[in-house]
Amino acid sequence: MSSTETEFRDLQSAATSHRGDRVFNRIITAAAFTALIVLAGITIFLGFQAVPVLQTQGIDFLTTSIWDPPNYGIWGMLYGSLLLSIIALVIAVPTSLLLSVFMVFLAPNSVAKVLTNLVDLMAAIPSVILGLWAFYVLSPVSEQWQALLNQYLGWIPIFQNSSGNFSGTPFTAGFILAIMMIPIVTSVTREVLGRTPPELINAAEALGCSMWTMLRYVALPYGRGGLVGGVMLGLGRALGETIAVFFVLKIVFDPVNYYNIIESGGGSVATLIVSKFGEASGPYETQLLLAAGFFLFMGTLLVNVVANLIVNRTGRLKS
Amino acid sequence: MSTAEFDDVKIEDVQELEKEIAMRGTASATEMEARDVSVWFGKRKVLEGVSIAFPKNTVTALIGPSGCGKSTFIRTLNRLHELIPSAALAGEVLYEGNDIYAPEVDPVHIRLKIGMVFQKPNPFPSMTIRGNVLSGLKLSGLKRSNHDDIVEHTLKAAGLWNEVKDRLNHAAGDLSGGQQQRLVIARALAVNPSVLLMDEPCSALDPGSTLKIEETIRELSSEITIIIVTHNMQQAVRVADNTAFFLSTDGTPGHVIEQGPTTEIFGNPQDQRTLDYVNGRFG
Amino acid sequence: MSATIIFDDALVADLSQQQPQTPWGRRTSKFRTVVILAILIPAAIVTMLWWFSEIPKPVLMVSIYLPLQIVASVLAAIAVRGTKSAIDAVIIVSAIGATIFSLVVLISVLWSIVTKGMQALSAAFLFQNNEYISPSTPLGYGGLGHAVVGTILIVGISALIAVPLGVMTAIYITEVRGRAVPYVRFFVQAMSGVPSVVAGLFILTTLILTGALNQSAFAAGLAYAILMLPTVARTAEEVLKLVPDELRTGALALGSTRARVVLKVVVPAAKTGMITAAILGVARVVGETAPLLLTALKNDKTVLNPFSDPISALPTYIFDNVAQPYPDAVIRAWGAALTLMVLVAILFTLTRMLSAKRLGK
Repeated sequence: MSSTETEFRDLQSAATSHRGDRVFNRIITAAAFTALIVLAGITIFLGFQAVPVLQTQGIDFLTTSIWDPPNYGIWGMLYGSLLLSIIALVIAVPTSLLLSVFMVFLAPNSVAKVLTNLVDLMAAIPSVILGLWAFYVLSPVSEQWQALLNQYLGWIPIFQNSSGNFSGTPFTAGFILAIMMIPIVTSVTREVLGRTPPELINAAEALGCSMWTMLRYVALPYGRGGLVGGVMLGLGRALGETIAVFFVLKIVFDPVNYYNIIESGGGSVATLIVSKFGEASGPYETQLLLAAGFFLFMGTLLVNVVANLIVNRTGRLKS
Repeated sequence: MSTAEFDDVKIEDVQELEKEIAMRGTASATEMEARDVSVWFGKRKVLEGVSIAFPKNTVTALIGPSGCGKSTFIRTLNRLHELIPSAALAGEVLYEGNDIYAPEVDPVHIRLKIGMVFQKPNPFPSMTIRGNVLSGLKLSGLKRSNHDDIVEHTLKAAGLWNEVKDRLNHAAGDLSGGQQQRLVIARALAVNPSVLLMDEPCSALDPGSTLKIEETIRELSSEITIIIVTHNMQQAVRVADNTAFFLSTDGTPGHVIEQGPTTEIFGNPQDQRTLDYVNGRFG
Repeated sequence: MSATIIFDDALVADLSQQQPQTPWGRRTSKFRTVVILAILIPAAIVTMLWWFSEIPKPVLMVSIYLPLQIVASVLAAIAVRGTKSAIDAVIIVSAIGATIFSLVVLISVLWSIVTKGMQALSAAFLFQNNEYISPSTPLGYGGLGHAVVGTILIVGISALIAVPLGVMTAIYITEVRGRAVPYVRFFVQAMSGVPSVVAGLFILTTLILTGALNQSAFAAGLAYAILMLPTVARTAEEVLKLVPDELRTGALALGSTRARVVLKVVVPAAKTGMITAAILGVARVVGETAPLLLTALKNDKTVLNPFSDPISALPTYIFDNVAQPYPDAVIRAWGAALTLMVLVAILFTLTRMLSAKRLGK
């Protein structure tokens, strides 16, 4: 007790003794492991809740799609999260790439600077506000679009709609996820493309490249790792997003909506948790949601770890 | 009376000089010519009134201390200069008698006819050796069927064939610096240019590689016009038919002090500053 | 070339009365005509359709104007530069299209927030709470004062926890440089990917369901801290790396201990950067809703005790008023969104000003 006090005083008065340094190092090192403790804590405590659920529901908890006491299965939600992410990727990746091509290779410096700030501002908009906007502004427009898609491209399976109801569809939910992903992916791709070494661009120009061939054969292959990593970071964000999706997606367990992206109803693990939490009828239902959270965490952790490994391997990007 | 005679002589001199300049512009042996080229970056003038003719299938060395605008100058010859946002230019650059900066000229066409090798070897790291040689075809969209022949021919011309013929599909990054620079030369040759610009191609290389590249330059000069920027005066003497000496003093724009056959510039320079420079007294 | 030619400096200087030009910017009249046609024709067609057809405007712009403009640009590129530049035309038009699309989304979001949110704003809205107010109560009564208090309380608690821990994590990485640096960095990165709903579940299961805590501002602050820490740590790390090493070695050479060097020299030198890190952390969490739904629930009263009761914050206030069948409740949601966005915009501007100041030095 008294020795700790002495050490503390040493640190305060910064005596030349190394004891102060040792304490300082220990405190800092302990703090640095917060991240590990939290990650381990989440895994252990949520995993602890997932065990009894798997014991009572069996593997059906992951492979069936039902939310009807006493049977519970979140397959539809797991698949739904994936489907929404794919829709979001299809919209967000080309948009982000083109946006960063514009900022890096086409726009004058001053314009690019303004755009960079606007993209950062877009990233700063809270998801609950995007959800609000999606519910009142995007959805009506999106329903119009989906009706047209169905009218003209209805022969393609993904654009089939038998109910005539275009609200609460995976398309709209995926679209709002795409809008959340665009600033995240763009900030990485812009930086990756901007780091194409000038001597390679010079070499390509001296060989009579066009903008397309320079991108295709020089800039994109050079930044491949960073680009993939950036996309995966955006994917991780999309998988875990809860509130924006909550307002525009109708949660449906059965039947699982596998590919009718403009048909009302779909799934998302994160949204399931929030939407069922308020009406959870007892400790067991809460446990089910905690178990669902565990599998969501495992999925996003995997995507993020892989994304960061890829990004780190291709050179550290400033946040 | 004697003054008048003196004046006459001077006028004759000037006329002769003008005639010579005019002749070089029209002579069929001249492949490229810069006429009164000045260059700016923003408001700063970095090069002033450069006029040099480059006869067909010769090697011309551009020498001078660093910062005198040599590298900037050769980038005006294949229209790479204009890629720098603040760049500006005055004067004319003629290729086969036509101004390469005329509005109807496609810069891509110019860059294919006038190839370039840079100071630092810059093969494309994501491509194989073979891919690098053929990259010019891909990048410019040229269609050629005999890819294998092109690879072999250009790598031989660049003096690299024997070293890499068994590993054409290896990454270009595995090669040594000197090999990479010769690969880059092969890459430039693969699109069949008639002029090759070289911006201090040996400054990042060891003496052995430098010698190999100089050999390559001598061999290439029988079928291609080469313009080489170099800091190394022995190199200019070894490879160049003609030499131009650039100088920029006290922040004034760089300009050509003296130009002519390499033997004259090094053996019998007319300007004191040239004499000082080639004897290593500054720069 | 037989004779050596000498140029007289004075003569050269005298001759060159040249003006700087950019000859590569000069265009042939053919080029100019083609470009003007490629812009005017699609624009003219779409203008006609805009006024004289029933096609919805967004559909017109995306499914008629964009393809038309791409085709026109491709034809123009082929006419001027040959077939090789056709793809370039597609890329350039699509890149401009993607940029405009993103800007339209951003402007639409901001425009909706401002125009709809302004209708709710009043002194009552900003300072009253939601007690005795139902969704059908007309505007003019009740407000989000309690939610503002809640947000300040929750974010304040999380900042008190996450900022010191985040900064210490960064100090470990850049100053202590222990053996575990790569692992710590890896864990911080992995932590930045924790979904906000999972952070909420974690606090719920460890502290609330076990009975250790109520659903309260403190519990929500802990959940926010999980989300805030990685942002603070990563930003602080970048900032500390910018502190020149001479400062450290200089102070060490004067006989300071490492601890003193860090606390008295390195951290103060990076002060504005540290503030930036804290603000970025706050901005990261201030709009998060899912953790609050699990750990703070809601409360119509103003709550000041961080441990006692459930509490509302701006995001949950928005959440509760969305999708209500009462127009005034929806306007309240927009009003809260405007309040939240103004908060975010202030934080955003602060970070920009601070980093500009830092770069200025």
